[in-house]
Amino acid sequence: MEAAIKKSGKAKKKRRFTGINCLQLLTLAGLLGYMQYAVSSGKVSKIFLATPTSIVEEGVEIMTSGLLWPHLLLTIQEVLTGYLLAAVVGVTMGLMWTLFPKTEEYANVFCAAIMAIPKTAILPLLILWFGIGFKSKVVLVFLFSVFQILYNTVTGAKQCRTEFLKVASVFKANRFQTVFHVIIPSALPSMFNGFRLGVTTALTGVIFSEMQSAKAGLGYLLAESQQLLNTPRMFFLIILVTLISVVFVKVVAMAEFMFCHKWRRV
Amino acid sequence: MPSIKIKNISKSYVSSDGEDVLALKNIDLEIRDGEFVCIVGPSGCGKSTLLEIVAGLQKQTAGEVLLDDVPVNGTSRDIGVVFQDAALFPWRTVKKNILFGMETAGISRKEQEEKLEKYLQLMNLKGFENKYPAQLSGGMRQRAGIARTLIMEPKVTLMDEPFSAVDHLTRCTLQEELIRLRQQEKKTVLFVTHDINEAVYLADRVILLSARPSVVQEEYVIDAPFPRSRSDDYLVQLVARIVADISRGAEKTSEVEYMI
Repeated sequence: MEAAIKKSGKAKKKRRFTGINCLQLLTLAGLLGYMQYAVSSGKVSKIFLATPTSIVEEGVEIMTSGLLWPHLLLTIQEVLTGYLLAAVVGVTMGLMWTLFPKTEEYANVFCAAIMAIPKTAILPLLILWFGIGFKSKVVLVFLFSVFQILYNTVTGAKQCRTEFLKVASVFKANRFQTVFHVIIPSALPSMFNGFRLGVTTALTGVIFSEMQSAKAGLGYLLAESQQLLNTPRMFFLIILVTLISVVFVKVVAMAEFMFCHKWRRV
Repeated sequence: MPSIKIKNISKSYVSSDGEDVLALKNIDLEIRDGEFVCIVGPSGCGKSTLLEIVAGLQKQTAGEVLLDDVPVNGTSRDIGVVFQDAALFPWRTVKKNILFGMETAGISRKEQEEKLEKYLQLMNLKGFENKYPAQLSGGMRQRAGIARTLIMEPKVTLMDEPFSAVDHLTRCTLQEELIRLRQQEKKTVLFVTHDINEAVYLADRVILLSARPSVVQEEYVIDAPFPRSRSDDYLVQLVARIVADISRGAEKTSEVEYMI
């Protein structure tokens, strides 16, 4: 009995390859196999679906020809610039609101109003103001992610346990010490939640705006391949942006791990 | 000669129903130098409110608190507070938690380290200084909480039900340690608890507050030398007397106001 308990405990830790995993793999293989069969046999038009092999071929092709890299680089630059700007502004504003509640009272209504605008609706205006290049993309990415970071920072800071604030007060911590040694650390998990949400929407923002109007970027490439009816390339680009999104989320998760893992009960 | 004088303290607040509630009414108390005073009373009687007023965390409606005859206005480094569940910062190690007060006071690293050594020793925390609160038992956490307060060497230490969150055996051990600490350091302590056994076992004097609006209902001087025995007849009888007084107080108020 005891041995059985020990064994099952061990299995959980090691994450053994189970029957469910087999089934999942089979499903995936079946799906890919069907795609391959349906398209190559002509049952489904090449315009609607692509064979896995053609997707891989297309990917290799645009990577080796060098077509992909400038677009990829530009998109990443746009998204990182906008996102980092949003992180800095969101966190700074969130802390300012917590430090000086009057500023929140004043600014909250404006932020709420801007947040309520579907961001995609102001893209045409942004293009008029900033052109179809780098700037309008950065601004859109910024708008896409800044509110998630701002409001998560504010919420986190407000959720600081009153006991912690009492401790700070009893030890005569000044405002600066209270913010940096008590409020920010206790708000970190919530702030990282905002960073994580913000990074995925940032990518959504950049792809969308590049698809609408741009001269380069992954979104532009995607829209172009649709017009050229290059379905394998569309599939490849969708997979690529998904991977980028996964990598971004992972990077945020790693940063969170570095800052919070030691003391948070996982 | 640190002493705390609580003069005519009253506290009223507006409840969520918009009613004026009188929590404390004309509380008069004096805690002398080196004295250990416990405050007990029925739950909701405002024991913790009184302690927070003395700590400077809440403002009284009337009256004043004097530390060495100087009015207390807001929190002070001379008045240390130990909180109910230790209230350690989960993102700091035990060591960094204990040093929090010294960091905010801008005390030099060297002095911090020296003092830390002493208080780790005193609170039996040696070997745990690099652990995070989540890795500690409730008893260990409260030891660290006490060390964080004592390391500042406040003139007066206030304790708000510090052992209420730990199991009975740990509580007994912590009580023994507190008594040992007192004999070594002769601290002036105001200790709030709902555990009458604990109050009688630890204190030089026990103050019984009545139900709301709280007044000082009774005062008991505990005339027994340390170390005390928990089964000491005198102490056991005193506990029984206090319990009887509390229920008598409860009857009185329920007669006046309403029957439950």
